[in-house]
Amino acid sequence: MTEVITDPTPPILHGPSDKEKKYDRQLRLWAASGQQALEDAHILLLNSGSGAVGVETLKNLVLPGIGQFTIADAGVVTEADLGVNFFLDEDSLGNSRAECCVKLLQELNPDVKGHWLPLQETLTVQKVLKNDAKYTLIIYTYPIEETDLDFVQEYSIKHKVPVISVHSSGFYSYFRTYLPGNFPIVDTHPDSTATTDLRLLTPWEELSKFSSELTGDIDNLSAHEHGHLPYLVILLHFLEKWKAEHRSLPSTYKEKTAFRSLVTAGARTDNPEGGEENFDEAAAAVLKTISAPTLSSSVKAVFDYEPNELEAKSNFWIIASAVKQFYEKHKQLPLPGSVPDMKAQSTVYVRLQNIYKKKARQDVAEVLSTVRAHPGGKDVDETEVESFCKNAAFIKLIHGSEANPESIKTLTKSEAENDANAEMTMMPLSLLPIYLSLHATSHMSTASSSDILATIDQVYPDASTTPRYVEISQEVARAKGGELHNISALTGGMVAQEVIKIITKQYIPIDNTCIFDGITSRTQVLRI
Amino acid sequence: MATAMKRDQFNTQSLGVPLNTMVKEARILMVGAGGIGCELLKNLVLAGFGEIHIVDLDTIDLSNLNRQFLFRHEHIKKSKALVAKDAAHKFNPNVKLEAYMANIKDSQFNVDWFKGFTMIFNALDNLDARRHVNKMCIAAGIPLIESGTTGFNGQVQVIKKGVSACYDCTPKETPKSFPVCTIRSTPSQPIHCIVWGKSYLLSEIFGASEDDSPEMDHSEDSENAEEIEKLRQEAQALKKIREAMGTESFAQLLFDKVYKDDVIRLRSMEEMWKTRRPPESLDENAEEIEKLRQEAQALKKIREAMGTESFAQLLFDKVYKDDVIRLRSMEEMWKTRRPPESLEYATVIFVTAGANLRSIVFGIETKSRFDIKQMAGNIIPAIATTNAIVAGLCVLQSFKVLRGEFSSTKETFLTPFAQERLLASDKSRPPNPDCPVCSVAQTRVLVDMSRATLGDLVEDFLKMELGYGEEIVVNHGNNLLYDVDETENLGKKLSELGIKGDSFLTIVDEDEEHENGPRVNLILNVQESASPEEKPIKSLDIAPATNGEVPGSPIPRRKKEVKEGPQSNGHSTNGPSAPVNGGSATKRTATEAFENGDETPSAKKAKTLSNGADNEVIEIIDNDGSILIEDD
Repeated sequence: MTEVITDPTPPILHGPSDKEKKYDRQLRLWAASGQQALEDAHILLLNSGSGAVGVETLKNLVLPGIGQFTIADAGVVTEADLGVNFFLDEDSLGNSRAECCVKLLQELNPDVKGHWLPLQETLTVQKVLKNDAKYTLIIYTYPIEETDLDFVQEYSIKHKVPVISVHSSGFYSYFRTYLPGNFPIVDTHPDSTATTDLRLLTPWEELSKFSSELTGDIDNLSAHEHGHLPYLVILLHFLEKWKAEHRSLPSTYKEKTAFRSLVTAGARTDNPEGGEENFDEAAAAVLKTISAPTLSSSVKAVFDYEPNELEAKSNFWIIASAVKQFYEKHKQLPLPGSVPDMKAQSTVYVRLQNIYKKKARQDVAEVLSTVRAHPGGKDVDETEVESFCKNAAFIKLIHGSEANPESIKTLTKSEAENDANAEMTMMPLSLLPIYLSLHATSHMSTASSSDILATIDQVYPDASTTPRYVEISQEVARAKGGELHNISALTGGMVAQEVIKIITKQYIPIDNTCIFDGITSRTQVLRI
Repeated sequence: MATAMKRDQFNTQSLGVPLNTMVKEARILMVGAGGIGCELLKNLVLAGFGEIHIVDLDTIDLSNLNRQFLFRHEHIKKSKALVAKDAAHKFNPNVKLEAYMANIKDSQFNVDWFKGFTMIFNALDNLDARRHVNKMCIAAGIPLIESGTTGFNGQVQVIKKGVSACYDCTPKETPKSFPVCTIRSTPSQPIHCIVWGKSYLLSEIFGASEDDSPEMDHSEDSENAEEIEKLRQEAQALKKIREAMGTESFAQLLFDKVYKDDVIRLRSMEEMWKTRRPPESLDENAEEIEKLRQEAQALKKIREAMGTESFAQLLFDKVYKDDVIRLRSMEEMWKTRRPPESLEYATVIFVTAGANLRSIVFGIETKSRFDIKQMAGNIIPAIATTNAIVAGLCVLQSFKVLRGEFSSTKETFLTPFAQERLLASDKSRPPNPDCPVCSVAQTRVLVDMSRATLGDLVEDFLKMELGYGEEIVVNHGNNLLYDVDETENLGKKLSELGIKGDSFLTIVDEDEEHENGPRVNLILNVQESASPEEKPIKSLDIAPATNGEVPGSPIPRRKKEVKEGPQSNGHSTNGPSAPVNGGSATKRTATEAFENGDETPSAKKAKTLSNGADNEVIEIIDNDGSILIEDD
């Protein structure tokens, strides 16, 4: 060894903990930060009806290690419960359903803490929610008393707690998320092919220098060097050439096609292959990478939004405002800094990577200094700024859902119009009638088909005379609020997935209602 | 129990009495008791399916517990099938459960055994077993519900012979492999160094030889014969070092060999480095390493230790002294199991260090231990929620299968990042008429193993009884037993050629000259029988042709145009870049066709090949799309 490092004790190499091993397969989806958020969360389930879908949802949250959960349920276990709920057994008969389910759910994961609240006259939903702000998210299932619903809404608004309602009956189900206020997401996990940002139209000095260093004498390069010029260097070189000739950059489709021909013509063909792979790569990348940076509508929405006083104090909005300043100054977002794989000599490729990484670090440093200058920015974690800069082009703001009685009427009408043309447009039929039929049984699960239709008529007067509405309302009436375990298990999977997205603040949650039709195995998402 | 409500009250209410009765009477096989399996078993038990058989070879691992909810910490290392059975039984004592800790490919699970089920659910995690069950279900004519998940994505498909596409109707991506020289001499990507660390360094020191590794592609070996020979010698020398294991000098010897001597030898082959950056042995490379040290946190640790005298010693002693026993026991595991799903910790350290040091030698980006574990172990992310959704969809399809409504079965995809198509369901695709598994003729044959020869099969059975011509090929798996030029086996008994009861033989007709083209492939499923009076080979399903070449031969022909024959030359799309990979080209088009969905109503017509109606078969191909796309 040519170099001797003074510290003689080598670091102890720690193996992954048991917890890391147990959660290995999911850490690959939401990383340690997401896992931590899950472990800090406490979910409340207000359970009712035949009671399976809420418990199935919890199962999918207990397994990945949610911190705590509480079931509040007035139910006492009956024989019919055993047929639909996996987390009850013969010994449970006659006991509190909340207690029995919690005990069996808890067996799934010793790291999770479960609590139960057997609802009764002396322990009402109002009392459960009155105490303190300990719940991170509330799930309730139908049917539910109207007054209890009010308490849930009150709690949600007061403590800024997201709520998900779930309704499963027979072959149908739906769930709906209510996000209190606005919900920003930094780590949306965009498709990796979409994240490439090479800044070819606006190269910074170091990149330009590096590029011209490689291509200054492009015609006299050896066959090997020429055939291993990284494609982005090739593009930079020809962009310079184009600029010198046209005094502008290629912007229209026609110009870009012409530019592509210019690149292709630059390849040497006097070799056994009759072409060069790196030039092929360059030509293929023209349309994708030669375009002026534009702000996506979702980032624009973040920049345009004016947070209220309370929101403005959160790390997200402090960093967002710093990034916005950065954007206004440089006319672009901070550089993400990654370079895609390409044909190149390894040493050249490593240098290129370093140039991009260095620029990305500089951009982060600039944003960070703006953040630090902000009155509340002293304690913002540097890694949070880094992650924001890296994901800046894909940040997303979901607006909270305010109930608006008029919007459901408009939606019902437009969905009905779509359905009228469904045969021609080959579009599947709307699932909104399922939502409306289930929703009509929100407070009482046994209702006749005509009761259901009468309720729907209030928002869509044609319902009673529309065969599809009649058919669906009959199906809902037939199920009498009874759950099929299988439909509830499936719905529980989807609901838990949304809970995980909301709690980890990763990926984009559904906005805001997902309706499932078990007869055609199909979902539809609508903003209701 | 005096309660008014019955256990299956909700099921009766929603399914209706007739379907609920069918559910109760059904006999189900579930292959695999892992992520999807646990969810599926729960759903099946609560839906009230009468009898469920569970087959799984695997034992429970700690990393299963985040989703496989029938298992607890105390079940680790126990059989998945048996524990799942016990756990599920408690929740519906009325269901009859049977569990087997066995490989579904075992001979006890033969075609007749498969025939005993109403339907079969695949809840597997690997291509090989999926293909096997698919083949068995096609042979037995039993419907199969196939499912799979990766992270947030998932898919469910109903497979019924002759009605819907089977698992092999679209070519599947095979695991990536690399040419030996890329791995051993000219790596250019981190994955090359990782495969080197895992399939060469680790294997040569602790396990089986690299030649057995599926990641090594030997197809280009002959072009590089000289280099291959050198590499073989290198591996031999490494084996010698392996013998020094346990002595003081072992680690130093190994380190000097793979990161210095071998690199210097490689570098001396100047021809090789004319167009590439030559490798630099580790002690020449200190400056580069120092730079990288600041970049990669994982490397930092190794590098810090590396500066000390004891680095190599420490690294390899840890692996050798502390973990060698476990590693040896793993070696056993690798022999009998499918390729390891993940690597044990000591192995991961070893491979990480080995691969990253090599990356430095070749000037390649280093990777973190977490990444390397994923790249080397082919680890697929898996969570409870996706499995719950997919298992639910499986059971919904099973209701349609029970009712025999195959035309309304759906192929459903979970596309979690497209809000408008979270669950996208398409009509089942029709079988691919070129599918080597389901679009073939099949028959069981009774064979008297004590006397039947390959000659009996070819001359007496295939040619005389089934009316085949001269141009035929008989394969047993990948082994060629007979063709026109390969006649030396004809006198041998089938038993001498490794054929047993439940073996599958494939008969390929190469009679390109016939006006209607060659026959479709014929799969013979061998059944043992001792019948001294009769002919040694007899078909169970096909009535023999009356004599010789008869127009109504039971094995249908396919038209010539259908075949992508080698005669259609001069049509290569990708320029002269030599080995145009036909396989991957078809794969791409097949996938495109697949993604485009099967909205065309004309694709609905379901056909079986067994009626031999040639014109109709061709019609389907024209509608299939995959061939059309390939043209442009």
